[in-house]
Amino acid sequence: MSLFDKLFRGRQERSSDVARERLLTVLVHDRVKLTPEIMAKMKAELAEVVARYIPGANPDEIDVTLMRGESNDHIKADIPLRRSAN
Amino acid sequence: MSRVITITSGKGGVGKTTSTANLGTALAMQGAKVAVVDADIGLRNLDVVMGLENRIVYDLVDVIEGRCRLRQALIKDKHFPDLCLLPAAQTRDKDAVSVDDMIALAHQLRTEFDYVLIDSPAGIEAGFRNAIAGADEVVIITTPEVSAVRDADRIVGLVEAFEKGHPRLVINRIKPRMVNRGDMMSVDDVLQILAIDLIGVVPDDEQIVTATNRGEVAVLDRASRAGRAFVDIARRIGGEEVPFMSLDEPQGLMDRFFGIFGRRSTR
Repeated sequence: MSLFDKLFRGRQERSSDVARERLLTVLVHDRVKLTPEIMAKMKAELAEVVARYIPGANPDEIDVTLMRGESNDHIKADIPLRRSAN
Repeated sequence: MSRVITITSGKGGVGKTTSTANLGTALAMQGAKVAVVDADIGLRNLDVVMGLENRIVYDLVDVIEGRCRLRQALIKDKHFPDLCLLPAAQTRDKDAVSVDDMIALAHQLRTEFDYVLIDSPAGIEAGFRNAIAGADEVVIITTPEVSAVRDADRIVGLVEAFEKGHPRLVINRIKPRMVNRGDMMSVDDVLQILAIDLIGVVPDDEQIVTATNRGEVAVLDRASRAGRAFVDIARRIGGEEVPFMSLDEPQGLMDRFFGIFGRRSTR
């Protein structure tokens, strides 16, 4: 976030929206017990699976987020693929 | 058929006791025979909220330990003879009562009353488990604040784990002006997070404090907006379809009726 964003966007975010977003995240974490160890293991295995089909997935770069959706809780994994010179 | 409803929340201080007293009275006003049970052993409060503190002779633990009959411990309300209070023990604690005791008590009360409302203590340990043990249904009270909603979510999970059906939600102490400014979560926000059926919304109301000061319940005061909200909730509990009232204060220009509410339950 640039300085401009921090100065102007920050003020526009309503605290009620912040509260809602925080709760949507924290509640899924409360229900889904993902310790850092389990999380690391899962990321490594995800990278392995992806690597079987597409080379270049780095487990350290995988971003896993938990969010509450309309009717379900969701786990999302963002798996960046290394752009190899092919 | 009698219904045993436990009123719980997780978080303390969000209005379980106030809700129990008001809903019990509202149901009695509508002609039902109602027993309200203070299951917060050691921290007796339902009696004082209803102004019945001077009439206590026996309490719930006396009944369970056989020192008196249930009838002797039940206290008739000041205004409605068909509304009775079973007070908590003040000098014992939650270990004095077991889940089986509470189930047996609920069965007994069921034979004499149309509704049994059980005021649960805060928390998720033995007191809470005792309070829901005999229940057919659970109503969860929350306020539109981060801690209360988080705790309510935990309770939703536990109620479902204990197979007490789908709990229903009361959002208490909502402040429409703060919601409009974006300083307080709205009903929709809370419903999006908790995703359970809504049975009522109660506005923050100073009359609750003054009523409790006098040992009267707000539903008896027609000027109390919270009181009117509790009356509506009691009607919904009874199966009536009651539209959710607009929370905007009379000075509001637009009726935000449809803007504020999302999912709702009328059963």
